[in-house]
Amino acid sequence: MQQNMYSVVEVEKFIAEGRTLLLAGEEALLRQLPKGQWIGGTIPYFITPSEGGAVSQDKIFVTDITAVTASAITSVYDQNGLGKVYTDAEGSGFSFIILPATSPAHASFALNGPNYKDFGNRPLIGWVAGVHLSDLGKATPKVFDGSSGAAYEQEAVVMHVTLPPGKSVDVGIINIFEQGDGDMLTFAADGFSCTDVMVNGVKENFAEYITRNNLDTKLPLVADYYGALVNISFQSVDPGGEVKFYAPVFTGIHYKHAKAVSNYAASFGEQLRKSNLDGQNIVFSCNCILNYLYSELEGRKTDPFVGPITFGEIAYQLLNQTLVYMEVHDI
Amino acid sequence: MSVPPKSNPRWADVVTGRKTYTLKFLAAKILLGRVVRTVSAAPTPENVRDAVDQLFAIYEKNASSPSAQEDIKIIFG
Repeated sequence: MQQNMYSVVEVEKFIAEGRTLLLAGEEALLRQLPKGQWIGGTIPYFITPSEGGAVSQDKIFVTDITAVTASAITSVYDQNGLGKVYTDAEGSGFSFIILPATSPAHASFALNGPNYKDFGNRPLIGWVAGVHLSDLGKATPKVFDGSSGAAYEQEAVVMHVTLPPGKSVDVGIINIFEQGDGDMLTFAADGFSCTDVMVNGVKENFAEYITRNNLDTKLPLVADYYGALVNISFQSVDPGGEVKFYAPVFTGIHYKHAKAVSNYAASFGEQLRKSNLDGQNIVFSCNCILNYLYSELEGRKTDPFVGPITFGEIAYQLLNQTLVYMEVHDI
Repeated sequence: MSVPPKSNPRWADVVTGRKTYTLKFLAAKILLGRVVRTVSAAPTPENVRDAVDQLFAIYEKNASSPSAQEDIKIIFG
């Protein structure tokens, strides 16, 4: 499977050859591409095969999925239509989604995705498009439907892919974080922010709790979904006021603050060993901008994984500070 | 691989939390992370049946997935 950085000219050639592509790069680059069987999202951060973590504003990260594509259709969903993402395109082998960060589609998917009709009836993987951190507030993340060439900043783009006969795909995650030994935290409402938290069943102001306990907000909240550890990353803490997150907390889910991670590479390696992945069958992977920043991944490799560094990762639902990947298998 | 019918009591054992397994299929784990708590809090026949329907559907629709197949072996032997 081909995953690497290419110039616009090289990507144009792939598109002309009729290849099926998942693209990540700067808006100005994606806007130059001809129509074809591709979808894309904006981001200038990557883990590349040659350099590891890198910022590139003149090349596009290409994931060529031609070998696992018998046919594909691309759909654009607004916040009200996203609930059909599992029921549209019946017979597809998997669906690949890209959402623009902070868009209505992003917020809607984050909050409602786990309750979509027929949740999980096919693999759903993808990522949240972003911008260079120096452009926050100046540029907007965008997603592209290559079949029309159109760019969107409010909607999600999804490629529904039918697999060739004899192929199957699996979606997985690598999360270096695990629940710490501290308090059990629950929330009274679903949302990207909160004022109060229930600490072992007792209500208090969450910002004050964070301050009093000197919680490191670079470490996420971690929920245990039947053994799958799902992170909620902190965006900001307003003393005495709101705490904001990069993904929503949900009522009924028990969260704990993560254990400290002193060495990303060592923790990553340990989780990789536990996953028993050989890396040979990986079709796509992406990792979180917060892992890139907090673990200083620039110039570092995360073999066998490469791919865009994103403002959110999607493996059936929105995740934070997590590497997601898709493998292909012969059946 | 065939997925055991919904009438197999092992499905209800899973969604009620009466039996727990170390599973691999991510979609099922995410689903179970929610439904086991919901069903445990209110284990009415309707809630159990609804949860079994959802879990069965996920495995049936993903029956060709290696991780789903491993889970079926783990749960049903």
